[in-house]
Amino acid sequence: MFKRKSEQKISIPTASTGDIAFLLIIFFMVTSIFSREKGLKIVLPPKGAEVKVKKENILIVTVNPYGEVLIGDRKITIPEIKSIVQEALNKNPELVVALKVSRKAPYKIMIDAFDQLKLAKAEKISLTPVKEE
Amino acid sequence: MKKFLIKRENPEIPSASTGDIAFLLIIFFMLTTVLRTEIGLKVNLPSAEATERLIKRRNVAHIWVDKTGKITVDDNVLDPTGVTNVMILKIADNPELVAEIMADSDVEYGRINDILEALKEAQAFKVVFATEYKKIGG
Repeated sequence: MFKRKSEQKISIPTASTGDIAFLLIIFFMVTSIFSREKGLKIVLPPKGAEVKVKKENILIVTVNPYGEVLIGDRKITIPEIKSIVQEALNKNPELVVALKVSRKAPYKIMIDAFDQLKLAKAEKISLTPVKEE
Repeated sequence: MKKFLIKRENPEIPSASTGDIAFLLIIFFMLTTVLRTEIGLKVNLPSAEATERLIKRRNVAHIWVDKTGKITVDDNVLDPTGVTNVMILKIADNPELVAEIMADSDVEYGRINDILEALKEAQAFKVVFATEYKKIGG
């Protein structure tokens, strides 16, 4: 008869599970993408719901197809928008700023102008839809 | 003077539980990461000083517009009427939804205008124009 060899105590080494798990953590931390959700917020009005605003309470900022910015008939540079709008808001807190951008204008200019309005703390901003030219 | 002989044991930090701690951390990271399933389009976002961070990122639907004016939502190429149809379904699913317009800075504004009209049509009134941070004065 065979005699059984002296039995050894079987054990799985647990000291390294921590290392394995930390490796997995590092993997997940490196691969997870931090969300880049950031931008300029606006709330759109419902379609067709036109709010009547008194003419003197509107400031129209126009961007023409060449990317030039006009207030009324005056051509201005983009950084000037902030101070002009702030001044106008101080005179009339009820002011609604209407941003009228040509379809041909670059999006970048529209964002720059919109940014200026946000910086001027204009609460009521309206994006005037433009018809096909 | 037997009194002063202190019995020294080998000090040891138990390592058996480090694995459990680490696995807990893994589970935490796995639950908190939001997997991005959308590939989107190659866009060069405009930058703005007033850029704000969105907090509820699970309620965001992306609308990608590249510089040729191509529009995609969930990696499907759509026209503005298609955007309306998709957004109606998404809004019905989650009324808190925010539509984030990831548009290239060189696209014509007309395209964006069409999307805004499409969003109005779909009653998706919360809109964000995706931008990068710009340093003040820079």
